Amino acid sequence: MTDVVVVGAGVAATAAALSAAREHARVVLVDGGTGASSLATGAIDALPWQNAAAASDREASANGPAARSGAVDPRGRAVLDALGGYALPDRPALLLTTAGIARRADGHDAGLLNVAPLAGRRIGVVRCERPGWDAAAFAAAWGDSFVVVDATVLRYLDERVLPDGDFAARCDDAGRLGWLSERLREAVATAGGSPIAALVLPPSLGIERARAAELSARVGLPCGEALAAPGGPAGLRFERARDRALEAAGVERVRARASEVTRESDRWCVALDGGRTALADALVLATGGLIGGGIEYAPSEAMIASVLPPFARVPFRATVAIEGGSPLGMHGRPLELPGSLFGVAPESLAWPFAREAPMDRVGVLADADGRVSPGLYAAGDLVADAPRTWLHALESGARAGTNAARDAGAATSGHALATAGGAASPSRP
Amino acid sequence: MVQGESVPPPVSLPPLQRAMPVAEEGLATTSTDVVVVGGGVNGVGVARDFALRGLRVVLFERNDLAFGASGNSSGMIHGGVRYLSQAPHVTESSCRDSGYIQRIAPHLLFRLPFLMPIRNGAMGRIALELIDAYFRAYDDYQPLKRGEPHCRLDATDVARLEPGLAGTLLGGITFDEWGIDGARLCVLNALDAIENGARVHVHTTVETIARAPGGDGPVRYVVEARDRSTGERVCVGARVVVNATGAWSPVTASLGALPQARVRVRPGKGVHIVLDRRLSNYGILSEAIDGRQMFLMPWQNVSVIGTTDDDYYGDLDDVHATSEEVRYLVQGVARIFPSVREARAIGTYAGVRPTLYEYGRNEDALSRDHRVVDHAADGAPGVYSMIGGKLASYRMFAQELCDRVATADFEVTVPCATHTRRLPGGEGIPDATALAVEHGLTPVAARRLVYRHGGRARRILERVARTPTERDVTCPCEPVLEAEVRHVIREEMARTVYDVARRTRLGLGACGGMRCAARCGQIVAQERQLPPSEGGRMAREFVETQARARVVAMGPAQARQEALALAHLRSSLGESRDA
Repeated sequence: MTDVVVVGAGVAATAAALSAAREHARVVLVDGGTGASSLATGAIDALPWQNAAAASDREASANGPAARSGAVDPRGRAVLDALGGYALPDRPALLLTTAGIARRADGHDAGLLNVAPLAGRRIGVVRCERPGWDAAAFAAAWGDSFVVVDATVLRYLDERVLPDGDFAARCDDAGRLGWLSERLREAVATAGGSPIAALVLPPSLGIERARAAELSARVGLPCGEALAAPGGPAGLRFERARDRALEAAGVERVRARASEVTRESDRWCVALDGGRTALADALVLATGGLIGGGIEYAPSEAMIASVLPPFARVPFRATVAIEGGSPLGMHGRPLELPGSLFGVAPESLAWPFAREAPMDRVGVLADADGRVSPGLYAAGDLVADAPRTWLHALESGARAGTNAARDAGAATSGHALATAGGAASPSRP
Repeated sequence: MVQGESVPPPVSLPPLQRAMPVAEEGLATTSTDVVVVGGGVNGVGVARDFALRGLRVVLFERNDLAFGASGNSSGMIHGGVRYLSQAPHVTESSCRDSGYIQRIAPHLLFRLPFLMPIRNGAMGRIALELIDAYFRAYDDYQPLKRGEPHCRLDATDVARLEPGLAGTLLGGITFDEWGIDGARLCVLNALDAIENGARVHVHTTVETIARAPGGDGPVRYVVEARDRSTGERVCVGARVVVNATGAWSPVTASLGALPQARVRVRPGKGVHIVLDRRLSNYGILSEAIDGRQMFLMPWQNVSVIGTTDDDYYGDLDDVHATSEEVRYLVQGVARIFPSVREARAIGTYAGVRPTLYEYGRNEDALSRDHRVVDHAADGAPGVYSMIGGKLASYRMFAQELCDRVATADFEVTVPCATHTRRLPGGEGIPDATALAVEHGLTPVAARRLVYRHGGRARRILERVARTPTERDVTCPCEPVLEAEVRHVIREEMARTVYDVARRTRLGLGACGGMRCAARCGQIVAQERQLPPSEGGRMAREFVETQARARVVAMGPAQARQEALALAHLRSSLGESRDA
């Protein structure tokens, strides 16, 4: 018997499992693979950064320098500390993207270089033959203070074509990191002009953990990665950090996919593939949005039949069926989408046609605590109307996990009350 | 004007007579023999033909080469088997010209065997006999384009050739066609024109066509154009002006105050769906629920479903497919090839055919013939409009016009050479496998490069030899090397990410530009010495426009990818609407 079952393996699920474990609940995490979290680029935000940037610009013009948009609540902070490897500076970070911009972020993977504190100083962009890494183009795009620095970063020929993740894994080797730091020191020493204050590297600094701090210490300058396409080392580092944190917290992990949630007597019953089931007093669903796979776009006419469907159905469904019908919704209401005789027009669902597209908003309806119904919680991108951001996933996961553990505690003490005549479980605070 | 069949045209008011304006003295800064308006296949075909005859040519294109119907066609140099009963001369000339195009651009064509399954039913046997006889007639034209004669197959043969076909079949017919990349065909024609002295201005819109002051010298007209990105004005004096603007023809005519009714077209929107892989090795013909014929065909490394034909009177600069058009096409093809329902659509494209105008007829029954309109009758001798035509017969259409103009307006008797002289890259086509080994490329990358550039692939690989970092694969789906991106910007007039996509198919694969648009924008900005933010803007514009085209065909897998692309774009490039 388990107190809390968490379905999912991304940021929100990890936060839920760690927070529930902190409440001394026995936690099982059902891991059906990671979606959006593994594809994370390393920037962590509470709100989509362009909205946050616009808001902080407004704020800045009214109240002086801008502050971070989302102060992380203590539970979220505790999860972040347990994971390790993330920086959450007091002022918004400025990250450099390989798409050629410097963008704000509330926080970042510790492997990435935050250039906000380096304003006005000369920053070197390391030139090397990595796919898509054009130091000259980046230096021109990021701003006047960036200069190209020639350094030997590749040690073996195959590194010219290795995928980012495999290349980054080589820096997990201490010897390699030492070799790299010597090359960078040489490069900085021989670079002309005014002194270089920091170095930007391609995504390359480890997958077990971010090696940026170690490298910076050895080189004597802040060194870090640029923010690159999804599927790079930052996502892999999240997975490693999650694995370590879950193990340290004693969370049991089951590799399976959940298909259905039912209520049996007063417990939640999660049907897993392979015919197994998991039972719990409280349940957190954190299966992700469209990218994670928790919400699927499944229009009735997706497999266009030889005859048209009789009427258009809501074209979204949750991959984990919940007893008592689909709780999907948006704008705080159960989901209703206008359709015609010919089905739902995808133009009306998706970016870039509609600014507030259902594809970005649809999810499971939950209250501010993440509660869907008593004992059942949703977190992360699965939640309707919530921003699809890393910090939202973290905080909503932590909240849902904590509340689920408390519900489970109440349920267990309820059992205890019935069987042992009023003695509250000592382990529940 | 071609007469409508039985329905009389509506009575219209007498047109408002406007005279072509006269240009100010000294406006034209340069003079030329011919100004061609329009960078579609007709325009570049004419420009090349004139240039090869030694005439000086200036071409203006409002958007990019092959922006309209030429770049959004079905991608076939087909023999026009559909027109065999209506207009056999269209079929014959299409086949003959298909043969010429194979000769001048051998690298750009690929054989496309078609399979036409015949259902078992009351009329099945008769249908098979009739179709067999029909294609026997078509076989007469096949040698003109090095096509194999048709085959009559029984049900077992059909099932062996394409096991994915549904229903009880009586048999089928195969026939041979050729596929082509229409956008590349346009670019190669434009390049050859330039190499023979023509000047080509892309992203430059003609604003007025005026009479030159002083009348009938070597310069009769002054064409004033504006570069749409820089705002720079170009004024060219010319003896002859050719309007080759397809569906835009009436608009272009009005710039010279010529009567629009003389260049009327029946704009027919054609929509295609792109699926992520080759679903069959054969093009498969099917009938939609309303009896219209449509097809599913392997095209380069994807499959294409086409096409619709509906009158279109919307914005010609922004034509896109709707989800209902997509459903209509998929349902039509799924009747005979059900697995398209599960196949993954990665995009759609749409173009507007400039069909010859006829009132009242069904869109499908309209002629695919072409016609030269001489505006001498409108008081503008030396101004011509090219109306109608199709990709397969562009060269012949150009020749027709040039033969006439060369003698009538210039007394030039140099014969046409466009059917014998090869297009750039059409000679010395290297072996892709050897090239891959020699330059350390993947065989796929080498093959695609040779397909697009023929003999000129070597020029691109010379870049790689000089700068090894240009071996980088910028677009992994296609794949496209960085050297090729730089080459098409320097040598082929690409000015935006979209222009690069048209020339290389970068970003038109499964990822929708998510993995390559930003990088391509950087390269464009570098090569054109633009501010880097301009490269980012182009990349966003490309990704958003492509998303718009994909979304209408969105299935479950596509929706996920759309969400991921969106998240990625937001994370690393930002969205243009927030800017």
